Amino acid sequence: MSDTKVSQISLMSNDGTTIRVDRAVAERSILIKNLIDDLGEDSVADQAIPINNVNDPVLKKVIEWCEHHKNDAAVSTDDDNDNRKKTTDIDEWDQKFMQVDQEMLFEIILAANFMDIKALLDVGCKTVANMIKGKSPDEIRKTFNITNDFTPEEEEQIRRENEWAEDR
Amino acid sequence: MKNTATTNSILKTLQATQMLDTKPVLPAEILAAILEYLAVPDLLRFARTSRRMREMVYDDTRWVARLKSMGVWDEAEARKRFEDAVRRRRELSMSAGAGNAAPGAGRGGPIPHGQNPSSPVNKRESLLFDAGLEEERRRQSQIQQQQQQRQMLDGFETMTIGAGAQQPRPVPPPQQQLDPSRDPEALLGVIKNAKSVRGHARQEYGKIYGALAPFYFDLVRARTHTDPLVFKVFRDPDRQAQMLANLRTFAKSDWADGAPQRVEKLAAMTGIFESAVLREFEQGYEFWDVDGRMNKYAHVLDILNGSNAGVELFIHKHPLFSDREVLANSMDCVNQAMADSITLEPSRRFFEMLTRKVNEQAGIIERIFPDPGRVFWTFVDKIREDVIVEYITPLFDETHERSIPSYLKAVSGIFEQTMLFLRTLTPPKGSDVNQEEKAKGLALKIFEPHLDLYLQDEIDTFTAQAEKEVEEWDKKLSEQDASVESFYMASFANRQADKKDFLTSFKKVVMMPVTVLPTSLGLPLGSPFASSKAAAAATTANGALQTPSQQPSRSQSPALPGTLGDRTSSPMPGKAPTDELAAKAALMTSRLEGIKSLFSIEVALSLVHTAKASLGRVAVFIQLGGQAGGEAREQCESIFVTLLRILGNGHVKPGFDKAVAHLSQYNPREVSEHDRGGVAPLVTFIELVNVGDLISQMIDVFYEQQLAQPKIADRNDFLDPAGMAKKKFEQMLDESVAAGLNKGIDVLMDEVEYLCATTQSPTDYNPGGVTAPDSILSVNSIPGMEKAAQSQRPAGAIDIDIGPSKTAQRIKDLVASHTSMLVGSCDKSMLDVFNGEVGLRLFTAVCKHLKRQRISTEGAIKLIADMNLYFEYIRTLKNKDLLAYFKALRELSQIYLIDAKHAKEMATIIADGDRFGGIFRAEEVYEYAERRADWYQVKREVERAMYGLECSIM
Repeated sequence: MSDTKVSQISLMSNDGTTIRVDRAVAERSILIKNLIDDLGEDSVADQAIPINNVNDPVLKKVIEWCEHHKNDAAVSTDDDNDNRKKTTDIDEWDQKFMQVDQEMLFEIILAANFMDIKALLDVGCKTVANMIKGKSPDEIRKTFNITNDFTPEEEEQIRRENEWAEDR
Repeated sequence: MKNTATTNSILKTLQATQMLDTKPVLPAEILAAILEYLAVPDLLRFARTSRRMREMVYDDTRWVARLKSMGVWDEAEARKRFEDAVRRRRELSMSAGAGNAAPGAGRGGPIPHGQNPSSPVNKRESLLFDAGLEEERRRQSQIQQQQQQRQMLDGFETMTIGAGAQQPRPVPPPQQQLDPSRDPEALLGVIKNAKSVRGHARQEYGKIYGALAPFYFDLVRARTHTDPLVFKVFRDPDRQAQMLANLRTFAKSDWADGAPQRVEKLAAMTGIFESAVLREFEQGYEFWDVDGRMNKYAHVLDILNGSNAGVELFIHKHPLFSDREVLANSMDCVNQAMADSITLEPSRRFFEMLTRKVNEQAGIIERIFPDPGRVFWTFVDKIREDVIVEYITPLFDETHERSIPSYLKAVSGIFEQTMLFLRTLTPPKGSDVNQEEKAKGLALKIFEPHLDLYLQDEIDTFTAQAEKEVEEWDKKLSEQDASVESFYMASFANRQADKKDFLTSFKKVVMMPVTVLPTSLGLPLGSPFASSKAAAAATTANGALQTPSQQPSRSQSPALPGTLGDRTSSPMPGKAPTDELAAKAALMTSRLEGIKSLFSIEVALSLVHTAKASLGRVAVFIQLGGQAGGEAREQCESIFVTLLRILGNGHVKPGFDKAVAHLSQYNPREVSEHDRGGVAPLVTFIELVNVGDLISQMIDVFYEQQLAQPKIADRNDFLDPAGMAKKKFEQMLDESVAAGLNKGIDVLMDEVEYLCATTQSPTDYNPGGVTAPDSILSVNSIPGMEKAAQSQRPAGAIDIDIGPSKTAQRIKDLVASHTSMLVGSCDKSMLDVFNGEVGLRLFTAVCKHLKRQRISTEGAIKLIADMNLYFEYIRTLKNKDLLAYFKALRELSQIYLIDAKHAKEMATIIADGDRFGGIFRAEEVYEYAERRADWYQVKREVERAMYGLECSIM
């Protein structure tokens, strides 16, 4: 096993395309980082790492995000719960980045979840949260593909129960 | 590379895996994460989409987190409620088993209700405060379900039914419930009244949200500070402040998109409100309207945000900081004192004044502020910074420049005054601050910048002073002619008593505090000792023991004994023991004239006093604790170590060395007088041992009193530097003593031999033997002795005195006096060794002496008497081994008593080894037998008896 650090690695999406990226960029994904740590430098030097759950456009998008954020400080894992609450706002670049159709947005979130890129996942979730803002239950159901299994009475019951939260 | 192969295969396997393309539906955990970011209304709308979503939204932890962020969730309370509920359920299940469950169980416990404002849906929720009751009702509802065929949508309905079924319980009618939206009072307490109930976090949060959210969002939307609903609904500044404080707390649970802006807006509004209140407070301040406006607005500020701004304003503008009466000039301490010294009287007045003023303020603070303790200490902190530090810093700087001793005194003294000041402060009632801790902290802050310099100066000064003292003494000594050294024999009889007496006085003085606070007399540093020296001089002068010129050690006394002596006579409390000690020291010194050229107990005493003064000054800082206290403690120890170093190596050791040198130069033949009962250098040396022991005991007392008792040094810590130094000092002393004693034994024995050779007349053991033909040889060999013997008594006169000879008597006296001198002044084991050695050497000397004598049968009586004398003396030493030697010697002396006729028996005795306890062999005894005056007459007989006996056996 050589000690030389591989500077670039290849990622392969589920439709077979390979993308070469800087290692630092790829390691924004904890999944890839752990994979390299576990398998060793040699095994990833000449072989593409398959990212089976992610298709090519989404992978490209994710890498684009990683490129932009490659210099971010690593998120501390212990008190991130608190930090996340404090920083609810999305920065401008990320807002633009997330201006995609809903399917793509969900794909990105899923990819971020799969590849374990916490910051990207957070941005995605916030974006979705903003989408929900002000929507009626029906609109929400449509957005998220949820089937309504309440009777109208039940739904009314929940509404009354939480009347306190409605804007007056 | 096998490894690579396997990993490759893993990657290959992964590559080969086919994933089914899934429709983009977000999994539950991601949905949960998204919900985190939703604002409350959106969240609850989300709950209406499906059952699964409702479960997710209603999840208790989500709401507990919000309550926690506002700081109203009490985990302990929640657990207690939960456990109560479990217990009650158990009871209930038991009573349910009895059959008559429902109504009986309803009285399961006191039900808190009524006082709590509820949300708009409070008709249903009003009875849901207690988890235990709720559980209870849930169970009941299950039982009642069979009787009442109403459909239940969720737990709330059920509970209402349950509650309704329990008729005996006094249910407050819903109309009496306070509606927060209508009753402003209820709004104020909504956060305070929130409960921590597991499973009901959402409802609790709902209550708070329902009450506060309208105000919150209204305030965020408001454009001017008059707009917000908060200021319209509430007119009273108290309540406005309360509401703003509530909103600030509430804002913490808002983390949806845009929260930072909302919080900022809220802060801005609060700021406007705060500055308005502050203005009111300030106006009240200007009119000194303590109980009116100041009190009122201080409370408003406290409710709003802990009234920091008000406190700052109050302290910042406080008149005390510009009060000319208080702000004294610290230079008074220097100016009012004599040259190069300092008086702490002005600073004492300063602190007294300050104490009074600050304590006055404490009362005012109590009247104004709702949290007087905190305000008071902040105030005191400001006093420290602006008044005390301003006062002391120039003083310290100035004194440090002018004279170090006054600097040392100033730092230590003012520190003590500061501590006193801080301790006598009377903080307002209800303050939970530990005053002692606080005082220490403040004092540390005041003195921290000075402490390092002070400690360094203290030890430097001490070292310099001590070294100077020793040096001066050495100089004086060398100036004085060594030859005038007079040999002065002290009475040894009550030595131990004297020492004990001296030490008691010493102890008393040591225990006396050095810096008795009102040092109004303005004595220079170390005054107790200065005066004691003066008194010492006075005492000796009065006693007229010697003229001053004969007392070189007296010249240690200060140059102006008269004036100081006068001062001492002034009645000062706590002075008496010093004088007592001084007198005793003088007495001691007069007894110890003999060793004054070696070292002086006065110097030692003076060093100890200087050390004590330094130590006393430094020790006050130890109470600070922490690092500073530790440093002070270390410094105390190092002062002690320095004291021992200078006293030991600088003073005591050279003395011993000199004494030992004297001893080794001693030659008895060169000394003319021998009849004074002692060997001069040895006596001197033994005196020295005594004084050394005294000093050692002094140090011991000092250590106990000054270091061990106030817990500066740990007696049980063998690595403690002070303890180590003390051990080293004692060891040094012991070594010196041992080395000296070694030499001393030689000298003593030289003296003994000299005495034997010069004073023992041949006629002692051989009366009439001078005429005997066989004694001519010996007489010729020592003509001087012959002459001496002739002159002492008429030739041929037979000494009929059967007592011991004069020589033996003198030898015994000589040895006995020297050994007894050591008793009580050195280590028991060392004394034993010394005595053993002395005895053994004495034995050798006596044997040698014996071999030089001619002994007749008549003279044998004298010899036996001598031997008995030695034996008796040795017995007093209580050394068994030694005693055996002298016993043998006594036995041996008997062979001279045997008449020539009994040569046979003599031979038997000579050959009888047991008789001499194995000390002498037969050959040796034979040699002694040769010293018989009539040996040549009996020789044949004895030899025949000895050897012939053997022949006959053969």
